[in-house]
Formats: sequence, structure tokens, C-alpha cells
Amino acid sequence: MPVWHRIRSMARNVFARERVERELDVEVRGYSAMLEEEKMARGMKPNEARRAARIESEGTEQIKEQVRSSRGGKTLEILWQDLRYAVRMLRRNPGFAVVAIVTLALGIGANTAIFSLVNGVLLRPLPYRDPGKLTIIWEQDDKGKPDNVGYATYLDWKSQNKSFEDLAVYSSWQPILQTGEPEQLNGLRVTSNYFRMLGIHPELGRDFLPEEDNPASRNVVLLSHALWERRFNSDPNIVGKAIAMSASSYVVAGVLPASYQSLMNQDPRGGTVEIWRVLGYDVTLPFACRTCHHLVAVGRVKAGVSFAQEKAEMDTISAALMKAYPKEYSAAGVILTPLREKLLGDARTPLFILFGAVSLVLLVACANLANLLLARSTNRQREIAVRTALGASRGRIVRQLLAENCLLAFLGAAVGLIPAYLTPRVLAAVGTGGLPRLEGVQMDWRVLVFTAAAALLTGILSGLAPSFRLSKTDVHESLKEGARGSASGASRRLRGMLVVSEVALSLTLLIGAGLLLRSLAQLLNVSPGFDAGHVLTLRTSVLGQRYNDNNVLRQYFKDAVERLRVLPGVQSAAAASQIPLGGNMDEYGFHPEGKMNANPELDESAERYCITSGFLATMRIPLLRGRDIEPSDSLTSPGVILISATTAKQIWPNEDALGKRVKIGVLDHPWLTVVGIVGDVHHVGLDSTPNMQMYIPHAQYPFPDTDMTFVVRSSGPPRAIASAAGQAIHSLDATQPLSRVMPLEDYVALSVQGRRFALILIGAFASIALLLSIVGIYGVTAYSVAQRTREIGIRVALGAQRIEVLTLILRQGFVLILAGVVLGVAASVGLTRFLASMLFNVSATDPFTFALVIMLLVVAALLACWIPARRAMRVDPMVALRHE
Amino acid sequence: MTPNQTELLQGTLDLLILNALTTTPLHGLGVARRIEAVTNGTFRVKPGSLFPALHRMEEEGWLSAYWGESENNRRAKYYQLTRAGRRHLEKETERWGRISLAIARALEARG
Repeated sequence: MPVWHRIRSMARNVFARERVERELDVEVRGYSAMLEEEKMARGMKPNEARRAARIESEGTEQIKEQVRSSRGGKTLEILWQDLRYAVRMLRRNPGFAVVAIVTLALGIGANTAIFSLVNGVLLRPLPYRDPGKLTIIWEQDDKGKPDNVGYATYLDWKSQNKSFEDLAVYSSWQPILQTGEPEQLNGLRVTSNYFRMLGIHPELGRDFLPEEDNPASRNVVLLSHALWERRFNSDPNIVGKAIAMSASSYVVAGVLPASYQSLMNQDPRGGTVEIWRVLGYDVTLPFACRTCHHLVAVGRVKAGVSFAQEKAEMDTISAALMKAYPKEYSAAGVILTPLREKLLGDARTPLFILFGAVSLVLLVACANLANLLLARSTNRQREIAVRTALGASRGRIVRQLLAENCLLAFLGAAVGLIPAYLTPRVLAAVGTGGLPRLEGVQMDWRVLVFTAAAALLTGILSGLAPSFRLSKTDVHESLKEGARGSASGASRRLRGMLVVSEVALSLTLLIGAGLLLRSLAQLLNVSPGFDAGHVLTLRTSVLGQRYNDNNVLRQYFKDAVERLRVLPGVQSAAAASQIPLGGNMDEYGFHPEGKMNANPELDESAERYCITSGFLATMRIPLLRGRDIEPSDSLTSPGVILISATTAKQIWPNEDALGKRVKIGVLDHPWLTVVGIVGDVHHVGLDSTPNMQMYIPHAQYPFPDTDMTFVVRSSGPPRAIASAAGQAIHSLDATQPLSRVMPLEDYVALSVQGRRFALILIGAFASIALLLSIVGIYGVTAYSVAQRTREIGIRVALGAQRIEVLTLILRQGFVLILAGVVLGVAASVGLTRFLASMLFNVSATDPFTFALVIMLLVVAALLACWIPARRAMRVDPMVALRHE
Repeated sequence: MTPNQTELLQGTLDLLILNALTTTPLHGLGVARRIEAVTNGTFRVKPGSLFPALHRMEEEGWLSAYWGESENNRRAKYYQLTRAGRRHLEKETERWGRISLAIARALEARG
């Protein structure tokens, strides 16, 4: 069997290599000897015969090499041989090896780290059964924007559609766990089919039952694995037990698997979802109405139904509903968002930008390594010449050199795995501003494969040019006695080009970082509309039967604020249903007297702050006109409201808003009179223009909020009064939960965290690239000075001024830098527009940033030239000429 | 080099070597000389092609080798045909016959 033969000889070639080699040597030399004997037998003299035989047999070493390369298993063997040789070479040049490995570790490490981020967030499959079929279905409002759905609408969708296997809805839910220390949990209320539709099965207990999904029997919950461990000691008998939450009792139906991390409801300020309760609505409930837009609908599309089909069907259903209930919908139509898009869509752009930026770093690292290799290649010409003379073909030499590079790259990659390993910790320390699924950012097989591929690519890319240059070495010239390594013109040009591209790439990254830095500076310069310094915030959610009485509730907040206000070091205190940049979205319809739409659903809505008196003073929100809310605004006095400047301008553009009357939310409430106009605050983010806002007194509003945030302005650092503030509130009622005890400034910081994250990373990449390019420029200049020592010596001996020598060297470096800058500016103009979505008040081609960054780069690069140039200036002509 | 040097196609070289070994085992130089003799000097096989081909065919199992003594008592590696080699030679001979016939016809058709 030929196959068997081949395997056997392959094994022999590998394991009995020495014997095979010895026999080959005897065979080939025997051939030459016989040839010689043959010629002598024909009458040639021994000398002539030997010479003729040698010419005819064309060199025993070459023949042996040709035989070797025709053998089976040759590729493997050669690879092994090349690698061993590569290890020897690197050990002989530890300095070179260290510089090269560090360069590669920086380049590959940064790439692996970002890839592990991209992998963990974007590439990992969603934790649902067949996630591609899951779609979020929004109602479309009159501005064409997506809106949540009301329960009645959901029921109609569910019963009328034929495109979806199933539809479910969820809404957010924040219960307070009352076993042990009271704690506010992040949860969802979901219809009973929710987990079945997603394809998630509880690891303990059971899923929700359809018969539980009604108002009479809805106190049933599922726990996340983490919550079960954290608060219930992984109690194996938890199923069926009752737990006390928000002054009610709930039965635990089951525990979800640890692998399931909820992706719905992402909020950087809150935690992940840890508890689920069955929704339990029916249409008779007041908040199950069509205009009660507070549910999110998810559907699983039937197999074979296209996106266009499901959209067309849902649009038809929606149009029919609009016709049947014209007062309850502001527009017909639905918006479909694939679940993946909804959950990960926002993360995609910044991650791809980071990935793009980090691949530029890898290119710089490649260029730098290629540069190092070229510098070294001059010294290796001789070695290569000897190997060529001994029968190595050109392909064989290129392969050998590439093997050396790949070995380097893999060593670099191994070191580069360290940053990737540390990525999760770094992310936690820096804060990513709401990137989802960070718990999955870790080393897995995809990351390792990526790293290996990056290493291989780097090794080949950086080694290709130098290898081909080297393999063209002229054997005859290089072997001449005393021939000194000298860079050929081509090699010098190549190195120049590499430096130019390094400079260009670094400049592009630096400009990107510069633009982001300026954006962040601009953003932090935006006044949020309030003064965040020296303010402590504490969030609470009032709990207990006695607070069902609204008067008790109002009195509780009045008293709590009073206790906070009299604490030592406290200047003022207040409470509000939400705070700007707090991440809440509490908007109510704003219905001005005489300007209401026939369909009140079409009236504008405004962000609603239900506040105690003293809120404006504590937040330092300016009162522009009229008066603040006073303690005297109570249930017995006429209803009042404060509006923001934007609200006044938008609703009453040419009139005085003071004294006008509005209704908010529902129309059967009494009129509220506008008594004051206050400054706008940035509620959603510093980078978006403020919406309409309104402030109503907690002491007067018919439905006083139970979820409130205390704000306390102190004269010292806010954290210093945190425990005193907590004690003051608990001295009134020790059972009340307090959460998010943090300075108001942290809310501002969290709102720009995403930008800061991008800036830190791109800044780090730009610094690495700059560092590598400076090393590259330094290397090229220093090398050229060393090469030209003799020439410089002659110039000095002939009377050249030191300063002329200096300019000579600097000019050479300057030309390279200039070319790099020109290319880099061109590349930046093309590339920075991809950053546009992350910029704020800065154009993607901001001349100021460009100029500043170019200056920085040129100065740094010239410094890198300056050191070797100064050495050239000090060349002693006598020493230089004797250098020969 | 030699004026009548002809580029040998790999298959042709294999065929010539197998053919040279049909009657008696030969060492490397012997194979080269035999090919030269039977083709009246048309094919001069260079050692750089000969030895790789011999080693390759040995690995394929068409040739086997043993160490013997040359005419001048020199240690030399002799190659001989195996049964698989003989089968391969027959197959190749037949194929070669078909090809050369076809080419000959094609060339005749030109006139």
C-alpha cells in the first residue's frame, strides 16, 4: 500500500533523521566518486577528472537539499527545523528579541483586549432559543418615534396577528426585598409566556403558569441564580416558599439558570434584573388602557415569515385599531426592531470604532517590527549568503525568516494575552457607560483563535518585505572578505517608507483621541442647569401600610427633609421624584388651557419633577421669573406648578406664561397655575437639548410619589455626611430602604462615562502608536548616523560646521516626518467622520485639534531625531576616519 | 550545458527510471547511464533531478533499495523495482503509448 509506505518513510525521515542523512551523504558522495572513476577510466588525469565530475554533479550539498525537499513530511520537518533555528537566533540577540516582543505584545495585546470586548458584547450569541426570530414591537407615535405599548393594544395584537408564534410583554418593576436588610431590587413584570417564548427554563422549580397571569393570583416570582445565592443562601428548598417584598407576600416559583443574564432594561446606574414577577393584568385595570404606554412587546416570528410580511400585517392591525379608537392613538403603524438590534445596537458603533483604532496600533507595531528587522538584515546578509552557497533556495530562506518572525509574533502574543486577561478588571475600574453583557468579556476560544491569527498575520506582514530583501542578497559580494554590512538604497527607502506610515498612522490615532478629548471638554463645559458640587443624593422607595394614606406620606417626606436640613454642615435639603441625569423617564402629558388638541394624546409631554420646597435652592436651579414652591403650597391652597424656560417658550411663545393654567397627565384633575419659570436642566444627557420640564409640589399633588430621591447640599464633601444623612432618615423610620447613596456629581460623571471610556482607550492606543513611531524614527536616524560616521568625519575634517552636520541629519528625519504628517492628515480627514457620532460641538476636521496634534507629534518626532543627530555632531573626524 | 539537453517532464523521468530498472538493480549513476544509453544520449539525467526522483519513488513503494558494492568496491545504494513499481510501469507505459500515438496523429493531421 503506497499510503503505508509514505507514512513509514515520513516517520523514518522524522525519527531516524540522522541515519537517513548519513545514508544520503554516502549515496551522493559515492555518485561523485564513481563519476570521477568513470572519467579516469576514460583516461583523464585525476585532477581533471575530479574537476569535471564536480562540474557535472553540480554540488553535493545542492543535490542533498533537493532530495530532502522531495521527501514526505518535509514541510513539517522544515518547520520544526526553522523554529529551532529561530529560537537560537533570538537567544543570540536578546536585545533585539526583547524590543521586538514588547512591540508586538503592545500591538497584539491591545487588539486581543478589544477583541475580547467585541466578542463578549457583540459576537456571543444571545442567551435565547433561536434569537434571530425575536423582535421588539413598538407602537409608532405621531412623530414616527417608537413608543411602548398599552395592555389592551397588546391583547389585540396577540389575538389578531398570524405572523408571530407568540407575543409577550414586560415592564420594569422595583420591589423592595424585606427579608433582612431592606433592599430595592431591579426586576421585571412579564406575561406568563415570556420565558417559554425566549426559550429559558428554570433550573429549579417551574415557569409561570397561564392561570397565574391575572390580578387575583399574580404574587408569584422567579429569582435569578445570583439573587438566590446572594440573598437566600442558595436554599435548595426555596421553591414554594413565601418571601416578603414591598409589604406583600410572594411565592417563589423557581430559580433561573446561572447562565441566564437578563439583557432587558439596561441602566448603568442600576443593577441587572434579578427578579421576575408575573404581569397579572386584565383589561378592567385602569393602567391596562390603550394610552397606558408602559409595556414592551416582544414577539417570536413564525418560521418562513419575512420581516416585510410581519411588518405589513402589524401595520394593518394597527390601522384598524386606530380607526376603531381614534381618541386613543396618536398615529397608526408599528415599528419592529430585531431584539439583537435593540439590545446591542447602541454598543456597535463605539466598539467598531475602537476595533478600527486598535487595528491601526497593530499596523504601527508591524511597521516598527519590519523596521527593526530591516536594520538587522544588513548584519545578516553574510549569514544568508553562506546559507545560499550551501544550497538553500530562495523560498527556503524566506520561509526560514518568516518562521523567525512568526515565532517572535507568537511570543509577543503570549505576552499580549496578559492585557486581555486583565480586560474585565480594567473595564470595571474605568467604567464603560452602559455597555451590555460585560460579564461575558473574558478569554474564550474565539479570543485565543483571534490572537493566534493576529500573531500569524503580524509575523508574516512584518517579515515579508525584509525577508524578500534579504533573500536577494548577492552571494558573491557578501562573502568577500571585509565586506561591511551597508544598507542598500532600496533597503533605506523601504525603512523610510515604514517610518512615514508609522507617523501617518499615529497621527490619525492622535487626532482621533484629540477630537474625543475636545468633545469631552466641551461637554463638561456645558452647564447641566444645576450645581452638582457638594450635593449628596439618597434614593428611597417608601414602604409600609401606613404610607397608603397620602397625608402620612406627604408628612413623612416633609419631616425627613427637615431632619436632613438641620444636620450640622448641611445648607439645604429637599426631595424629588426624579433628578436630572438620573436615568428616569417620567413624562406626563402637558395640557395648557385653551391650547389643547382635540385628541389630548397629541399634546406635548413634559418631564415631571414632584418636589418638596427647597429643591430649586438645593440644586441651585435658577428661578427666572415668578416665585418658587413654598411650604405654604398645600392641599388647601390653589394648585401651582413651575415650568422651565423651554416649556414657556414652546407653549406660550408670544405670551407671558405666568398665571396660565394647565392640567397634567389626566384631564379630570383641577387646573394648576404657573407661578414660576425656572432654568432648563439637562435631564437626558449633557449632549442633548433640554426637553420641556415642570415641577409640582409633593405636598399638594393628589398622587404624591413614593419613589423619591433626597438631595442634600453640604458645605463639605458630600460623602462625609452620607452616614449622618442615612441615620437622620432612619431616625424617622428605620424600615425604609436607602439606595444609590452617592454625590450628585457621580450622576454627571456616569452620564459622560461612555465618552470617557472611548477617550481613555483611543488615547491609550494613540500613546502606544506614538511611542512606537518615536522608537522607529529614532532607530532609523541612529542607524543612518552610524552608517554615515565616516562620511560625517570627512565632512568635519573638510571644515563643515557642527551645526551643518546637525541640520544634515535633522533634515533627513524631518522629510520623513513631514511626509508622514501629510499622509496622516489626509487619512484623518477621511477617517474621523466615523467618529462623528461620538463628537460633541467639535467638527470631525476641527483645525485647532489638527494643528495641536501635528505640533505635538512633530516636536516628539524631532526630539527622537535630535538625540542621534547630536551624536553625529560630536563625531571626532580622527576617530571616524580610523573607524574603517 | 549539453546541447541536446531536454527538459524532462516529471512523469517521463519516472517512466524512464522505472524502465531502466526492469532487468537489473542499479545504483544512481548506473540508472543515469542506462537512460543515456537506451535513448542514445537524448536524455542526460542530472543528479539534482535523479536522486529526488529515486527517493520519492522509494517512498511511494515503487522501488526498494539495498546497500551493495559498486564495480570498484565502493559502497553504493542499489535500487530495484517492487511489484507495485512493475504494475505502475505497465500502467504508465500503456498511458504513454496512448499519448504518443495521439500526438503523432495530431502532427500527421497537420499535413
